[in-house]
Order: sequence, then C-alpha cells, then structure tokens
Amino acid sequence: MGDLLRLGRADRSFLARWFWTVDRPLLFLLLALMGFGLIAVAAASPAAALRLSDAATRIPPLFFLERQLLWAALGLALMLAVSMLEKRAARTLALAGALLALVALAAVPFIGTDVNGATRWIQLPGFQLQPVELLKPLFVVLSAWLLAARFDDPSLPVIPLSAGLLALVVGLLALQPDFGQAALLMAVWLAMAALAGLPLLLVFGGLGLGLVGLALAYVTSPHVARRIDGFLHGEGDTYQVDRALDCFRAGGLFGTGPGDGTAKFRLPEAHTDYVFAVIGEEFGAIAAFALALLYLVIILRVVLQLVEEDDPFTLLAGAGLALQFGAQAFINMSVNLALAPSKGMTLPFVSHGGSSYLATALGMGLLLAFTRRNRHVQASPYLRAQPA
Amino acid sequence: MPPAWPATLAEARPGSRAPSVRLPGARQAALGVARQRLVIGLLAFCALILLLGARLVELAVAAPPAARAHAAAAPARADIIDRNGVVLATSYRAMALGVRPHDVIGDREALALAIHAILPRRPLEAIRAALHHDAPFTFIARRVMPDEAEALRALGQPALVLEREPERLYPHGALAAHLLGFTGIDGEGAMGVERAFEERLTDPRRSSEPLVLSIDARVQQVLESELARQKERQSAEAAAGVVMDAETGEVLALASLPAFDANAPGGLAGLPSHMNRITLGVYELGSTLKPLTVAMGMEAGTIRSLAETYPTSGLRVGRHSIRDLHPKGRPLTVPEVLIFSSNVGTAKMAEALGAERQRMFLRRLGLLDPVPIEILEKGRTLHPSEASWGLASLLTIGFGHGIAVTPLHLASAYATLVNGGVHHPATILRRPAGRAVPGERVFSEEVSAAARAMLRVAVTEGTGRRADAPGYRVGGKTGTAEKPRPGGGYDRGRNITTFAGAFPMDAPRYVVVVMLDDPRGDPEAGGGRTAGATIAPAFRNVVLRIAPVLGVRPDPAREPDLSMIAGLYQERRR
Repeated sequence: MGDLLRLGRADRSFLARWFWTVDRPLLFLLLALMGFGLIAVAAASPAAALRLSDAATRIPPLFFLERQLLWAALGLALMLAVSMLEKRAARTLALAGALLALVALAAVPFIGTDVNGATRWIQLPGFQLQPVELLKPLFVVLSAWLLAARFDDPSLPVIPLSAGLLALVVGLLALQPDFGQAALLMAVWLAMAALAGLPLLLVFGGLGLGLVGLALAYVTSPHVARRIDGFLHGEGDTYQVDRALDCFRAGGLFGTGPGDGTAKFRLPEAHTDYVFAVIGEEFGAIAAFALALLYLVIILRVVLQLVEEDDPFTLLAGAGLALQFGAQAFINMSVNLALAPSKGMTLPFVSHGGSSYLATALGMGLLLAFTRRNRHVQASPYLRAQPA
Repeated sequence: MPPAWPATLAEARPGSRAPSVRLPGARQAALGVARQRLVIGLLAFCALILLLGARLVELAVAAPPAARAHAAAAPARADIIDRNGVVLATSYRAMALGVRPHDVIGDREALALAIHAILPRRPLEAIRAALHHDAPFTFIARRVMPDEAEALRALGQPALVLEREPERLYPHGALAAHLLGFTGIDGEGAMGVERAFEERLTDPRRSSEPLVLSIDARVQQVLESELARQKERQSAEAAAGVVMDAETGEVLALASLPAFDANAPGGLAGLPSHMNRITLGVYELGSTLKPLTVAMGMEAGTIRSLAETYPTSGLRVGRHSIRDLHPKGRPLTVPEVLIFSSNVGTAKMAEALGAERQRMFLRRLGLLDPVPIEILEKGRTLHPSEASWGLASLLTIGFGHGIAVTPLHLASAYATLVNGGVHHPATILRRPAGRAVPGERVFSEEVSAAARAMLRVAVTEGTGRRADAPGYRVGGKTGTAEKPRPGGGYDRGRNITTFAGAFPMDAPRYVVVVMLDDPRGDPEAGGGRTAGATIAPAFRNVVLRIAPVLGVRPDPAREPDLSMIAGLYQERRR
C-alpha cells in the first residue's frame, strides 16, 4: 500500500482512480478478516492434520495453514483484480460468469464426484471445484440486474422471471442434493426481491413457502430429518456439535491461548466447518465475539454506503452480496454454538477451502467494484435536499 | 473493455428511450422503500449477532470451572464412605497414556521396551501393538500413577500423550469388594452399590455429598481376614460371612471369598470371585434353621412347654428316613433338641406346627422372597411350591433341608429371633441413630427370650462349643449340610458348614453368620468336617476381634437369663 498512499488526488492513472474510488474502510475490514482467518486456520490446522492422517499419509501439522496461505494469496489477488474492474465491465463479466456457473452446476450430476452421499464437486487437475460456491455471488448479480428494472418500470415481470431462475438453480441443487446452499440462495433472493419492492405479504408468503419446503425436505430426505432431529431433540448424531460446545466451554472468556487447546483435537472438521469452535477454545469467547462483530461491522459499512447509493442495481447487488456473506457467517457460527442444525456451511474468509475462499473473494471483489464511486458526492436524498 | 450492457432491462426495452418514460419520483420512491427495508434488515442482523454473543458468554461463563477443564470427561461420581466416614470408594483424576502412532520418532521397539520398563504391569506385546496401531490415536495404558507419568514424560517422545481422566479408586483394595462393586471402563457402576446407586452417585447435584453405608470398615476387615484364615486352614472352596445390627437391620460387614480387587476387577462378572455368596448364593443351611422351628412352635402354641420331650428314634416319611447324626437313644427336652441338634425332634415339632403355619412364619421372616437389600445381586430362594409342600417338605424344612436361602436371609431371621421378635429388613445404608428400618413383629418377647437362652446353651453345651468367645456371651447354632450334586442328589463328602449366632446374648446387639463351602478338614484340629469343627472357631475369632471395636465389654460373670430352661438339660462336665 506504500505506493498507493503516495497517489495524488489529481493523479488520473488507473491505480490512482481505483484507490480514490474504492471503499477503503471496507477493503481494510476485509483484509483484517482475512488475517484473522489465517490465524484461526493456523490454530485449527494441527487438529485437522492429526485427524486426517493415517499410516499411509502423514499430514504435517501446518499443512492446512500452508494451503490456506496459497488460497489467501490467490483470493486477495482475485478480489483486488475484480475490484479494479469498471462497474459495467464487472457486471458484464459477472452475468457471463453466472451463465457459465449455471452450466457447470447443471453438469455436476453427470461429471461430479461423490463425497459422503452427495455429488457436489467437479474434479479439476489439482483442485476440486464446487460450482455452487462460484454461482452464489454471480447469481446475486444476475438477480440484482433483473430486479433493478422494477425501479424504473414496475410493470416489467422481472420478479417472476428471476424467481424462475431461482427455481431452476434450487432444482439443480436438490439433485445433488445440497439443501443448505439452496436455502441460503432462496433467502438471499427473497431479501433482494423485498428490497426491489416485492409486497411484504408476498415476502412473508415466501418465508412460509420456505418452511413448507423445509418440511418437505424433512419428510423426503432421511439425511435432513436426521440433522433436524438431532438439533431439536439432542438425540441421534450430536457428536460433532457436542465437541464444538466442549471447545467453547474449555476456552472460557479468554481462551486457553494459541496452541494450548485440547478439545479442538476431538473436533471432526476443525479447519473448515468448526473453525469457529477452535477460535472459541484457544482465543476465548471475547475474541470469538469480536470476530462476529467484525462480520457485523463489514455488513454495517456496506449497508451504510448503499443507503447513499442512487443506482438500484448497485443497491440490490451490494445488499445481496453482503447478505450472502453475512448470512453464511451467521449460519456457520450458529451451528458451532448449537443454535442451528448442523449444516455444511463455511465461515467466509476464515474456513479452510479453495472453492469457498475464491468464491468469497470473487463476491467481495464484485462488491468493491460495484460500490466504487466518488466519495465526495453524496447521493442520498436523506443527506441533501431533493432536486425539484 | 467488454461491451457495455444496458444498465437495466428497462433501458434495453426496444423502442423505449429511457429518459422519456422515466419518472424520477417513482424511482426515488422505490429507492426509498429499498433503503428502509435495507436498514430494517441491518437491525435484524445486529440482533442476530448479539444473540451469538449472548450464547458465547453463556457457554464460556455458565459452565463450572471443573466442567470447563474437562468438558468431555465423564461426570464426577460421589464418594462412598462407611458409617464412620472411612472412604471406601472415591474418584480422582488419573492419567492415561496414549500415543499418536504416526508421530513416533525413532525406534518403536526401543520405545516399547522403555515404556514397559516404566509400566511393567502392562504386557510388552500390548505396548508394541499400540505403537504400531494404524490410527491417529490410541491408548497404551489407563490409570498411570504420577511418578510413572513423570518418567514417561522424561522419555521425551513427542508421540506420547498423557491425558487426565476420571478414575475410581477403592483405597482398601478388595475390602467389601462384592458389596461396593466396581466401575467399568467408561465409569459406570458394574456391581454392588456402584451399580445399584448409579443414579444417586452420578447425580451432579449430590456429587459432593458422599453415600454413607452401614458398613463398618473395621468390622469388615476383621470378618474378611478371619474368613480367609479359616478358608485356608480348612482348604475350603469358598467362605462368606455377614455381621448385622440386630436392632436396626443395618449390615455392618459383608464378605465373600474368594474376592477381587475392585481397582482391577478384570474378567467378567461370571467369575467365582465375583459371586456375592451372601446375597446371591442360596444354600440349604441345615441345622441353623432348627432354632427357628422351635420358636415357631412356641409362638404358635404347638410347643406348650419347654419340658415337652421328643423321641429320637428314626422317622420314615414316604421313601425318606430321618435320623439323628448322634442318636441319644432317649427322648429329649426342647433345649436338648437344639443342644444335640436332633433332626427327628425338630421334624416332630414341624409336624405339630403344620405346613400352613410353617409357610406363614417363613414368609414373615422373609425366607421365601429375595432378600430386601438395596444391591441388585440377589438370589431367589428355593422352596417347594404351595401345592407340593407336603409332609416330607414340612418335616425336612423343619430341620433346615429342602429350602435354600442366602446367608443374609439367615442373619435377618436370627436378628428377629434374638432382638425381641421384630423382623427388620436388611439395609446397607446407615440409619439415623436410634431409627431402625420399620419392622414387623414375628415372635413375642417371651419366645425371643427363650430362644436366646437356648441358643446360649447350644453353644455352651452343644455343637457350637468352639464358637464361644469367653466373656462375650455368645449364642448360636451350627449347621452342616451336604452339598447338592450338580446332577441331583447330595454329595456325602462335601459340606456347607454354617454358624449363625449373636452376642452378647443377655442383650443381643450383633448377629454374625459365617459359612464355609466344602471345608476339607484341618488335620491339625482333628480333621473334622462338621460346622462345629470347621466354622465355629472363625465365629469365635470374629467376635473376639469385633466386640471391642463395637464397644461390647467382656464380662465372664454375666450370663443371659437361663432360668426358664433350668433343669431341662444336663450340664456338661467342665
């Protein structure tokens, strides 16, 4: 950043224009989160390595940290590169990418690899791609682009149109099956539709429909039923979340200190889904809450900037991307704290994993790109008199 | 630069020139709605994050420090103490040695030898197997002591893991093992009090409050050591004994040999050493039941006077013949029937009593039902069904055959016989001072007083002479019964010998029942295999050692009131 800090206001170069128009506080918060995430993975890596080692393959204790450093470097580069795109170019690429990701998602049942009874990944050389991770931010942009049309012409049938797209994606996800991601996408879409003026009656109707869908999944999928039963009655397979709670209890307010945790070694997925529990044990409840607050502050910063936004597409896309980011973080932390049924959802920018890390970087890069503007011009009608 | 897409679909609509149809007011109104809803959503997200914070604080602060340190560990288990506060079972945090086999640095064989040198009780083969085990983690040994743990740490092997885990410790080893029971590998009660009081012992609200037993560790220790000595001298297969408070029904000691160390129970519960012979084993206890038959006859009025005489000539019932072991060849008075342990005499008494009343008394003495004690290892008594309780059953049960009960049953019945006639169900929990288990009267005070006098002379004049502990006014009765053969019938060469008695007989406080299974005779003591020769000496030794502990003063000058049987028996020449 040293060079960037010397950029003058009058400098019209590419980097200078980026630097002066990008949402720098947001960028700073995201970098802080990425740093925090690396520390968390460093703490979780030995536990996961031990768990996944066997006689044939010995995983070095810091293997996952080393991998995560690579993903973080790639992710940071991706995020910065995307954030440097012009808003229109970013949107164009995102829409094209959304179509590609849809195709990839549709192809998963045919060319995907099966893990634990679900087919979600496409094996690429040296890397497993989970199309839904890439699709999530791109689908948000696609929906925002469609829904934004209502702001200028409410008569356009964009809500049914994007709802149809949503149904297509949800249908593809149900084939894998991946109900968690489907639920997340539906929730994000519903929130965006609400912002785009969907009548509140329909918003609540949509929530009801979601509950019906959940009930349907409960009845038809033994996997879903097991997870929900385990959460509601504390019976069945609660081993994972019980070990997570042990971590928080062992950590107390101030934690055992980095490297001193013992409960983390009993965690099944210390480096991915349950990394929040590792933070809870080694750094304590206060640090864990600080991480939750960091997510909140990021959302707060994005929303407060969007309130001043005059462009419906930017508002919808920004809100959708932020919601997807925040909701995923909230769900993951809730599962760790036994407040929600066990669900394969990663903690954005913290959990180990390439697909989700790069997808999050893509989403945040797009968010940074869309919210680029001259920070000295206030658009909000709340802050200045409305033109006659 | 990619081609610029229309900013919105509205712009892209053919024929529409966006600015011409755009209504800034409508757009601003829609944006206003969006902003409003956006802020509402933000507030909702704030609330959710605060909820997470509350949950974090709840988990971090609400858990007690102990639970925090070992959240995954088994719940603490309350201590078990004896009536005087001696700890019989306690929980502590032991160390367990584990290994991460994939992390072993250096030579595994050398490491196995080094560990074996520190933990010699762990087989070398098991250690070696653990070091080569294909898993991220496995245990090598549980219950590692602190000095051993220190030595293991000093090995400097990073793959070795010392974990603390809750362990149950029985500080007295095998003392009262059958009564206390033990805990399994996962800390759950597997026998005795540990099993029967599992819920009470693991109740987190009461984990700091010990469970108080009626056991007296000092009495228990004496009982076990004297039984062990006698078992060895007599080359017996097994031995058992129980000491009971005659007034309250509290069990002061309960021993069964062979025993096991509750700290290392080993094996399965089916081993001979895991058999609780006092509550689970049922035996035909022979002549020890005769005093009960006498008391039943007196209570029912079928023995009108203690001076009544009974013939000793042989008696035939169907294909059984009843004879006395040492026929006197003359009619015997009631005390003499007990002194000489006459089968024929007690059979005649039972005949006069009748099956109906015999069953009623046996039921009220608790001899027909499993013994009402708290632990779960309880034997079902064996007796004829009501329909088949014919004359033969009536007569044989009169002298203690044809019915099998546990030694604890017998102790409970003897307590009733000598304490004034009230039957208190047995308990292993300490009763508040002066508050007996609520009882039920079976015999009158007069019958009990007569029984005390006759039990006393059965010792001084009869077969129980070797049970007499000088000064402690011991009363009691021997019992010698042939062991049933597995295939049916009886084994003439193998006996169950029993002595059941109480002391001090002028005001009985304690009932003691001791038993040997198949004593082979002690050549130095004449080689006899009857109860008088094999088990009565153990009774005397037990009384001599526990009476001072229990506060009973020896007094050679005192004797129970023998006036009611005076002149009814011939005193032995001394």
